[in-house]
Amino acid sequence: VTASSATPAEVAPSGPRAGERRLPGDIDMWVMVLGDMFFFGCYFIVYMVFRARSVQDFSAAQRQLHIGIGVINTVVLVTSSLLAARAVIAVQDGALAQARRMLWATGACGVLFILIKAYEWHDEISHGHTISNEFFSFYYVFTGLHLVHLALGLLILGVALRELRNPRKQRPGIVEQSVLFWHMIDLLWVVIFALLYLMR
Amino acid sequence: MPQAPAASTPRPRRAERVIWLAWAALVTATMLAWLLTSGDAQANTTAGNALVGAVVVLAAIKGRLIIRYFMEVRHAPRWLQRATDAWLAVLWIALFSIYLS
Repeated sequence: VTASSATPAEVAPSGPRAGERRLPGDIDMWVMVLGDMFFFGCYFIVYMVFRARSVQDFSAAQRQLHIGIGVINTVVLVTSSLLAARAVIAVQDGALAQARRMLWATGACGVLFILIKAYEWHDEISHGHTISNEFFSFYYVFTGLHLVHLALGLLILGVALRELRNPRKQRPGIVEQSVLFWHMIDLLWVVIFALLYLMR
Repeated sequence: MPQAPAASTPRPRRAERVIWLAWAALVTATMLAWLLTSGDAQANTTAGNALVGAVVVLAAIKGRLIIRYFMEVRHAPRWLQRATDAWLAVLWIALFSIYLS
């Protein structure tokens, strides 16, 4: 990212102009994001192949999930992405204090997502839906892997916040990179939600 | 979605409006998918397959909204636009084809 070496004095409006093509974030983060999308994509297809072998069992187990909880978590994560995107706009506009507030709010939505998911797991386990069921073994692995990515996303957001707090660093590019990873978490959740909760 | 630059509108304000619209579309699509699947249509029936087809289309649209407007791929080089569109197309066509098989 060209902005990554900017000094505080250079923090100024830097967003894309009309018609200009530029890579959001940097190529290293895109390699990670595209790699994650590829491997998750393969795993989504593996799940569907297993589902096709025992449709009735999978469909019956999927109907035990609470779609309402999935919907709430989707709205929470989509809202976190909105806040993260606003952080990028703020940092491109040089409004670093607002960018920090947006990143904090993004992280708060991420924590809320984890709490709701923990409640959902607790509820499923207390009803006897464990990894002994083939569908639920996929469910726990998918949602667990997604939570690991979300925790990593929170850590990366924390790094961006730390950079913005330090007046000697303040690299706007790092906000763009961390937010890019966060949006990927949102993207993967949209697929997981449709796949596990809705395609039954 | 507004994409053309308005000469009198500062970029941040226009960019903010675009992401708010994307967010509203994402929430609406999520609610719509929820409404579609709230019935009792059984798997592998014609009605069930049609509903799942609608869910797949909505999920693909949501994915593209996130990629284009949140990840800012709409301003990215063409190779990245093609790669992300290919990922969405291959993934959802494969998933729905296996679902129907």
